[in-house]
Amino acid sequence: MNVDELVRDALREQAAAQAPTAAGLADRVLAVRRRRRTRRLVAAAAATVAVVAVAVAVPLLDSGKEDVRPAHVVDRTGIRAQPDQSPPRDLISADGTTLAAYYIPRTVEQSSGKAASVRAYWLLDQRTGRYVKAPQWSYVAVAPGMKTAAVLEQQLPAPRIGLLDLANGKVERWIPVDHGVAGLSFSRDGRKLVATSYGENPDLRVKMEGSEGYDAPQQSTRTGFYVLDVASGKGSWSEVGLDGDPNDPMGGGFINSRQDFALSDDGRHVWCGNPMGDIGKQFYDLTGREVAVPAKDKHLQWYVDAGKSPSGRLVAGDFAGEKWKTSSWVLDARTGRRTEVRGQQLLAWVGEKSLVAWDITPGSNEFHNRLVLVTIGSDKVVPLSGFRKGNDGAAGRWEPVFAQP
Amino acid sequence: MNAEGLEGFRDFVDSRSSALLKTAVLLCGGDQHAAEDLLQNALVKAAGRWQRIDEPEAYVRRILYRQQVSRWRLKWPRQEVSVAEPPEAGVAGADAAAAAELRLVMREALSRLTARQRTVLVLRYFEDLPEADVARLLGCSVGTVRSTTHRSLARLRALAPELDALGPADTERLSSRDYSPVEVRP
Repeated sequence: MNVDELVRDALREQAAAQAPTAAGLADRVLAVRRRRRTRRLVAAAAATVAVVAVAVAVPLLDSGKEDVRPAHVVDRTGIRAQPDQSPPRDLISADGTTLAAYYIPRTVEQSSGKAASVRAYWLLDQRTGRYVKAPQWSYVAVAPGMKTAAVLEQQLPAPRIGLLDLANGKVERWIPVDHGVAGLSFSRDGRKLVATSYGENPDLRVKMEGSEGYDAPQQSTRTGFYVLDVASGKGSWSEVGLDGDPNDPMGGGFINSRQDFALSDDGRHVWCGNPMGDIGKQFYDLTGREVAVPAKDKHLQWYVDAGKSPSGRLVAGDFAGEKWKTSSWVLDARTGRRTEVRGQQLLAWVGEKSLVAWDITPGSNEFHNRLVLVTIGSDKVVPLSGFRKGNDGAAGRWEPVFAQP
Repeated sequence: MNAEGLEGFRDFVDSRSSALLKTAVLLCGGDQHAAEDLLQNALVKAAGRWQRIDEPEAYVRRILYRQQVSRWRLKWPRQEVSVAEPPEAGVAGADAAAAAELRLVMREALSRLTARQRTVLVLRYFEDLPEADVARLLGCSVGTVRSTTHRSLARLRALAPELDALGPADTERLSSRDYSPVEVRP
């Protein structure tokens, strides 16, 4: 017998001994795909730091020079639900956790073979309690407390970041950046802002050969991140290179075109999802140096919007689907002990016990979901919005932006 | 994906996923969890463009192979399949028990190859693909396939000395000038 014959025999024997796949794989795959759609893969990398002092280009208004924290314009108690509205016209809020904005993505053709996924935003007008279209912004991040939002203008990557006073809808100041940015995320206390820089618009879509629709390009142009002090507008940029092989149309292709950075809940690290990695995430210090995942963050999932609870003790997790047809896991941040809670997809914490989630009515189309309030240890589901229509990716489906109190 | 597409996708997964999982398990050197992840990732990718794929199985297989190879390329350390004990020496005898033991030795040795080495062997000897097809699937040159095959077999022999009793494969008879040491990508 030759060695290659033995290789062949050993492989065939091993294949024959393999048990078949478990039932329901197709549905699990479709559920994973839904979760990954808008925020996908990444590779991470070596980091060097270039310090860039950013200047204040527009004088501050009198209001809140230093105080970037919320004005508490929204009640911290009680539930404001609009179960007949989709997308919502009037305020949605649960004990202070508020739908601060929502956006509707659409694909806009630019030239033959190229397009961009564009978000149209509606922001909560805090005087009237209604959502008002804000066509000038291509990206909006709302600080906890909803006093301030960070915004980007239409051309991405953008050369400056606007800090919007949500009480009057005016830009309080502009922070110019040397490296164009396309993603924004506030720290938990609202005092820091992480901006993700890209070489090109990460929302570009291209037409693949033989394809009728538009897809995200296979490669990301992400370059690094800024950590900015919101009050002073000062901060530094850290380079974070991309890994993978840019010449391989498949091998290097499991990288999201948009994969934004965020601050950890204690503000000590910057992190991002890395779904192709062993643990699905990568942490950095504030200068962009790779660090090990802190023990208290090891259960974080980059594609679950709710993240950690206000105290940091609990982590919103993946789809569960055991006790109920649509449900999710909530994990103990340290021990990983799982508790099942209702809700198809966990979006935002409401205190330590409740969350806002997408959910469906059992037996209905799995894409026709609405905002609901769910509570750990409770069967109760409180509808907060009307049902979204259309299937995943259909035109007109709105996506929520929540702010913590 | 419309309702028709969803139905087609479910049918495909129901009918073909077990066969695809076999390949994934071989590519992952017997690591069941890694294989399930690999297959799930490939299916998620296929679902994303389901209605534009003409040959779903070929498409998913290509993703499996390339994804596995690209995992090898990524900078971060991957979870390697750990084998507590080195492959035990078997007897390369002709009887069935000895042959079965030799296959186990081989399986353990295969699990200790790099993902790339294993992928090339799975394509050549499990899928029975010619070198040119393997090269096309992995996006490398025929010379690279040949050299990787050669080195993989040599590595297997190094991992399991009891394989020395076996005769050389065709590819092992090639002179060293017949394979290119540097990978060429299109």
